[in-house]
Amino acid sequence: MEELKNNGGAKQFIVIRVGEEQYGIDIKYVDNIIHMCSITRVPKVALYVKGVINVRGEVIPVMDIRTKMGLMEAEYTKNTRIVIVKSEQQGFVGLIVDAVKEVVTLEVDGIEKVSYDNKSGKTMFVTGVGKHQGSLISVLDLNEILTE
Amino acid sequence: MDVSQYLEIFLDETREHLQNLNTEILNLEQDPENEDTVNEIFRAAHSLKGMAGTMGYKRMQTLTHDMENVFSEVRNGTIKIKSHMIDILFQCLDALEEYTTNIQENSDEGTNDNEALIKLLNDCLKPDGAQEETPAPESTAGKPAAAASGGSKWSSIPLDEAQKLVLGEAVKQGKKVYGITVKVQESCILKAARAFLVFKAVEELGEILVSAPSAQDIEDEKFELDFSIIVITDSPLDRVLADIKSVSEIEEAEGAEMTDFGGTEEEAASPSSPAAEKAEKSKEKSVPAKTETAKASGAENAPAAKTGAAKQEKKSNTKAVGNRTVRVDIEKLDVLMNLVSELIIAKNSLVSATTTQEGREGNAAVDSQIEYLENVTTSLHESVMKVRMVPIESVVNKFPRMIRDLSKKLDKKMDLQMTGEETELDRTVVDEIGDPLMHLLRNSADHGLESAEVRAERGKPEVGSIFLNAYQDGNNVIIEVGDDGNGIDVENVKNKAIERGTVTPEQALNMTDKEIIDLLFLPSFSTAKEVTDVSGRGVGLDVVKSKIETLGGEVEVKTQLGEGSTWIIRLPLTLAIIQALMVEVGGEKYAISLNSVTTLENIAPSDVKLVQSEEVIHLRGSVIPLIRLNEVLDIESTRKENENMIVAIVKKGDKLAGLVVDKLMGQQEIVIKSLGKFVDKTRIISGATILGDGEVALILDANVLI
Repeated sequence: MEELKNNGGAKQFIVIRVGEEQYGIDIKYVDNIIHMCSITRVPKVALYVKGVINVRGEVIPVMDIRTKMGLMEAEYTKNTRIVIVKSEQQGFVGLIVDAVKEVVTLEVDGIEKVSYDNKSGKTMFVTGVGKHQGSLISVLDLNEILTE
Repeated sequence: MDVSQYLEIFLDETREHLQNLNTEILNLEQDPENEDTVNEIFRAAHSLKGMAGTMGYKRMQTLTHDMENVFSEVRNGTIKIKSHMIDILFQCLDALEEYTTNIQENSDEGTNDNEALIKLLNDCLKPDGAQEETPAPESTAGKPAAAASGGSKWSSIPLDEAQKLVLGEAVKQGKKVYGITVKVQESCILKAARAFLVFKAVEELGEILVSAPSAQDIEDEKFELDFSIIVITDSPLDRVLADIKSVSEIEEAEGAEMTDFGGTEEEAASPSSPAAEKAEKSKEKSVPAKTETAKASGAENAPAAKTGAAKQEKKSNTKAVGNRTVRVDIEKLDVLMNLVSELIIAKNSLVSATTTQEGREGNAAVDSQIEYLENVTTSLHESVMKVRMVPIESVVNKFPRMIRDLSKKLDKKMDLQMTGEETELDRTVVDEIGDPLMHLLRNSADHGLESAEVRAERGKPEVGSIFLNAYQDGNNVIIEVGDDGNGIDVENVKNKAIERGTVTPEQALNMTDKEIIDLLFLPSFSTAKEVTDVSGRGVGLDVVKSKIETLGGEVEVKTQLGEGSTWIIRLPLTLAIIQALMVEVGGEKYAISLNSVTTLENIAPSDVKLVQSEEVIHLRGSVIPLIRLNEVLDIESTRKENENMIVAIVKKGDKLAGLVVDKLMGQQEIVIKSLGKFVDKTRIISGATILGDGEVALILDANVLI
């Protein structure tokens, strides 16, 4: 394990659930995971931007990952979480996801690249697909998610 | 010795001195005979040299030393300032600036010896004609002479009547009075601390009646390398001197018993006697005192001695100011400001927590304490804001030099007039405002002012005038930059815009002049016929605009073809915390800066009229357009059709508008938080704030709505 890390051969991912699918977010981008809280709507912004929230005294914009991916909006449940990620261009942004499941370690070699021939929307946000204990985890391309 | 910890201070002070030199040399160019200016330059050059020497920057030291030499001669009247000298001096300043930049970046001054410059400087020293021989030996004689006289500097301490009386009394009582001059080593960094130790050592033996510079100045390190004291004591002189010398980093302590206070009286009568006179005296005294040691240490002592003379004058200057200041890292202030913001948010939470618990008895005490807390936090905020305010002087001071250089480069005669340099703004704003202002000034110099021929044709004065006026207007600071040049040629801009495809010819037809001028603020729009290295690369005005907007300000331009243009920049005094009017629209809470709100009105629906299918109201003689906030914000109003409307009248410049809101929630001090890049495309929302209950409320930018 230690050895793998040194080679940069393995990365840790936070696994989130959106609909029936599992996505992985590179843990180095994740700042915080919080429960659903009250969101202040911001007018005149893209549909997927749900508004802004107060996280420890900072105002952070929140987007619904389902809307961004072109899925139907879902009711927020007790499993709904906001994953606060930090990107270099956009600063802190909260992503509303259906659930946060676990943290997994994936070997970089084991992540298969996804070809971009398929323009069906969803795959646009995925850089590759990794396997973990028999299930597939799509690795999210955060930069793509966070650009408008 | 490790000096790295002093690097910051060194850089700060070097910049200050360089700025000072720039300003003063410009003055000198206007008024070559002004002694004060020469003295000021001399002092600044000298301080720079001392600082560079202490920090071990030899090249910088050499260059400043040679500059200082030139000024020392100018001061002595042996050479006169000529215009080519000014150019050389400016080149020297540029070279020094380069050293400073190098030091900042690599902690090393670089390897440029600037020998050519030094040679030019030394050439200046050669006086015209036959006098060539005489001044040189005279000055070299003068230097060690002055050095030797340093020993008796205490004798020039001015004494007032009361002090003389005390001295007389002391002598009568059989006590001894000594005048002592203490010199610290040139390498000494904590001069004030050493001086303090000296004072302490002396005070154990006797009483220090008076010191020069004053104890306060010494404590503030406002002295060069030596200071003088007059001591009343029972101990022998040797003992006192030995005790002083036992303090480390003290190079020398000299003194003598004072018996004749008449001598000091004469000095006291003219405490601010000019340097020349003092030089005379010291020369007289020093001729016999020109011993081997004086010669040997002449080189090192010379600057110190000159300092002595300079210091004496400086003393009268600094005393008058007497400001006690502390240099604080701006980051520390930012932390402080953030903490104040947090405190205000916490206070707001407390307020909302107590108001929601209504009906509880015995709240009066809590309420009064909360009111008190509010007072304190508001004052605290104001104080911190004040601490962060700095005059724009530090930024605009470099412009006269820039305009001078531009004038030479562009071969146009121009003159910069500035007013309101003392206007204060938040430090962060001042730091950022330099580039936009510089850009506008360059624009004025390059595009604004016409060539000499055209100016003559139009009957304008030969010298073009550029101005920069700053003043405070309510909670804003206005900076106007303009010129009496050509103004903006609207037709020209229009054609250019069409040519570039920015607008179609049909669109252009319907555009007002103002709209066309606003095109100038678009990225990559430059109307200069030729690209010069002064301006005209088209990266300018849009950057100016966006910079000013990120500072929460606005920029507009007034122009008259053939008569000139004025760029008006409006900046908020404070950035982080504002007084806001809290309103509710469709159940959502919004804040509007109280600055822009003039009045609140209750309007019956029947009073709303239509003008060109826009809703307006008549209010005290003026027609004010109505803006229904719920429509702007895409939300259902909670107000019923036939109910009276609550309208907040807001103003921008001389324009008014009425914002229709559902409910007023009152005035609140709010802390502005950025919305983050992700959602800042919405221009009507200028930011967000966190309310007492932890909810986020958006801040409406009334300026954009109007």
